Amino acid sequence: MWKTARIAGAAALSCAAVGGVAACGSSSSGSTAVKEGGTATVLMGTAPDYLDPQEGYTTQSAEATWISYTPLLTYRHASGSQGTQLIPGLAKALPAVSKDGRTYTLTLRPNLVFSNGKPVRASDFKATIERAIKLNWGGKSFFTNYIEGASAFDSGKSDTISGIQADDATGRITIHLTEPYGAFANVLAFPAAGITPAGTAQRNLSNDPPPGVGPYTIKDVSPNRTFSLVKNPRFAGLNIPDIPTGHLDRIKVDITSNTQSEAEQVLQDQADAFDAGDTLPPSLLPQIESKAQGRFAREPVPSTFYFFMNTRTKPFDNPLARQAVEYALDRRAFVRLASGFLKPECYFLPEGIAGHPTGSCPYGSRDGAPDLAKAKQLVKEAGLDGTPVTVWGETRSPRQQYVEYYTSVLNKIGFKATPKIVSDSVYFPTIGNAASNPQTGFADWIQDFPNPSDFYLLMDARTIQPTNNENFSMVDDPHVQGELTRLNGVPATRLDSVAGDWRSLDEYTAKKAYVAVYGSEEVPKFLSNRIDFGSAVFHPLYLNDWSTWQLKK
Amino acid sequence: MSTDVVIRSTRAPARRTPPLAAGAGPYRLALRRLRRDRVALAFGALFLVIVAACLAAPLYARDVAHTGPNDNHVTDVVRVGGARRDVVSPEGIPIGPTWHGRFLLGADQNGRDIAVRLLYGGRNSLEVGFIATAITMLVATLAGGVAGYRRGASDAVLSRLFDLIWAYPAVLLGVALGTSLALGGLNLGLFTLSGRSLLVPALIIGFVYIPYVARPVRSQVLSLREREFVDAARLQGLGDMRILASEILPNLASTLIVFVPLMLANAILLEAGLSYLGAGIQPPNPSWGTMIGDGIQLLPTALHMTLVPGAMLVLAVLGINVLGDGVRDALDPHAPTRLPH
Repeated sequence: MWKTARIAGAAALSCAAVGGVAACGSSSSGSTAVKEGGTATVLMGTAPDYLDPQEGYTTQSAEATWISYTPLLTYRHASGSQGTQLIPGLAKALPAVSKDGRTYTLTLRPNLVFSNGKPVRASDFKATIERAIKLNWGGKSFFTNYIEGASAFDSGKSDTISGIQADDATGRITIHLTEPYGAFANVLAFPAAGITPAGTAQRNLSNDPPPGVGPYTIKDVSPNRTFSLVKNPRFAGLNIPDIPTGHLDRIKVDITSNTQSEAEQVLQDQADAFDAGDTLPPSLLPQIESKAQGRFAREPVPSTFYFFMNTRTKPFDNPLARQAVEYALDRRAFVRLASGFLKPECYFLPEGIAGHPTGSCPYGSRDGAPDLAKAKQLVKEAGLDGTPVTVWGETRSPRQQYVEYYTSVLNKIGFKATPKIVSDSVYFPTIGNAASNPQTGFADWIQDFPNPSDFYLLMDARTIQPTNNENFSMVDDPHVQGELTRLNGVPATRLDSVAGDWRSLDEYTAKKAYVAVYGSEEVPKFLSNRIDFGSAVFHPLYLNDWSTWQLKK
Repeated sequence: MSTDVVIRSTRAPARRTPPLAAGAGPYRLALRRLRRDRVALAFGALFLVIVAACLAAPLYARDVAHTGPNDNHVTDVVRVGGARRDVVSPEGIPIGPTWHGRFLLGADQNGRDIAVRLLYGGRNSLEVGFIATAITMLVATLAGGVAGYRRGASDAVLSRLFDLIWAYPAVLLGVALGTSLALGGLNLGLFTLSGRSLLVPALIIGFVYIPYVARPVRSQVLSLREREFVDAARLQGLGDMRILASEILPNLASTLIVFVPLMLANAILLEAGLSYLGAGIQPPNPSWGTMIGDGIQLLPTALHMTLVPGAMLVLAVLGINVLGDGVRDALDPHAPTRLPH
């Protein structure tokens, strides 16, 4: 990707030098002739929660802030598993981690400037983290739980975060953690850690986002209607390797609540992109697949869709009941219910995450017919025939359909199941409340960052709590706890060295059947004929990478 | 916003009024007039056929379709005209009408038989409609009767209550109540209802329509209580309850009879609306409203999912409304009646 960008830049320079016209602003990506500059229009069905980097916590927000506010560390601008690789952003190199895993040291690249021309200093990083905490960023617990003094700063007991030392003279930044946390390097790569100048107002600046360091700057915000990303002319001069400088002059984002019209406009080339965070209307799929060949693809996102089974409540406190569910699920059915936007799976760690097992499922099949006879026999053997089961689900399609199918399966194998469908907005708080004591139901997890520890948070006994519980299966297994304590401390930069251990842990939890995993989500990459589809990166974390888009000539 | 609408029959009155037979009561005469209204009878028969078909749902499911209303067949294959076809395609598009026993009218996203769900859904929709209508008529007659007969403080309190309920659009009030009750059910001490019970939407719909009947009843009772026969009963020493039951109620009967089909049609429509919005009958139980809601998402590719329950809803409501219009004409062939819409 970087190679393509450099070629494009070189072509533009030579064009300017000779003063030619015909070749100006054009280059080539594979067999498609492309050009530099121009404007693309993105349609978003859901507005970003915030356009202020220290407040945004949705994919819609990250799509814009990722390329406008570069953090100390970031991810490679590449599709697939390459895109999950941490690379230095505004830091010179990946962090040096102390032997005890509690001190991270980084150094800022020299001569960095914000989009307004102001130099970037090490203390801006500290101010950025403090601002994210003060603004109550949704993921602030990643800072307050692990950085020394961040919790005291959050509660107002301290005016500054004692655990971050920044030396403006050398650009050196030292971060002290309260305990080893292997995924901390991933935390530093959150767009919310994208550096903004010290002294930026401590309030939501979504309508007039602050300066940052990135290929684009966010401009012309009309809340919930439109905003634009305009090329930052200062970024190319910073010469940060592996971060594209951007091809388009402007990316105009229009918010439209009607995904049907959104998809139709892209299909007819009236707009350039259907936002990957939105759900394509199933009714238009056949048309899109036939008419938009070569500019539509289903892209996997590291995520896990599963049914939790409460291990502390009848009937799923019995391992046989949980195994029966695993045998009975026909994972192919979920793919159809998701209109093909789901890849069948039976392991908790999805593809693209270190430690993902690829072997056969311990019970049942990944993409074959279910074994209903075996499942019925297990339910009978456990003496659980006719046990009432309430299956929790949310109204959002196709999640409600998943739950209705699951309920039907439970009834087929001998339980007396009824679904309880509640509104999306209250679903997770409801099932996460101890008073609800849910037996089983829908759950999903889409990565915050590409690290297995992010997923295993959901089976960590320490996360069982009376409200906002995320460990819905109430897994409290000493073996799991021991492994999590050991593996969570391994720095993300050395994740590959423990991938086998994560795999073993994932195979262990699959054998215990704590959750019934059925798939990993796929999202649409759907662009107009104007954009070069081949060179447009679809990033596993931040979806469409607008900084790689080029208009066809 | 609720408005009163003057409903007048658009059909020509009966050509000849039969001579009054000696001893023939008003209801007998009304029945005679109704029997001559062939259009009303035809639509009444249509409604009865729909009711009968819905009551036969278990037979159809067991002996013809061989599947239940909530049985999923997502990955099943069905033979149509010798060819094997997916019940739900890999892209998630359900099969259309096969015109055979299995999946006669097609399947939905979960591979459930639309025809089976249509009949079971009709049972649910009609059950809710009948119960809701009974609740509305009973409570509205009592409350409207007491308000109109007692006047004074009772009237003031009850009328303000009617105003309060009336002030909220029926659908919004239904959605608000339905959403809150769907999760936790209803718990009134001795009387508890699970959120999944059909009685929940029936109670909600019955409740929101009370003022629509109670207010006209109150007006009529206000007028009736001043009539000579009521004075005569009072002079004979009859108590209020007795007067209400034996003197007022019989004179209200024709009004109430006219209201029954209208409220039934309204109740079925509101149930469909609430279920469509997720605040009525809870999934996976079918109702015509939930089926339309399921189908909307696949409208261009699986039109049958919306069209079939939609058509059934239209036919049922049309049948009741035209029959109701005929009943109104039969009971009071000349005077227009102000009815809420």
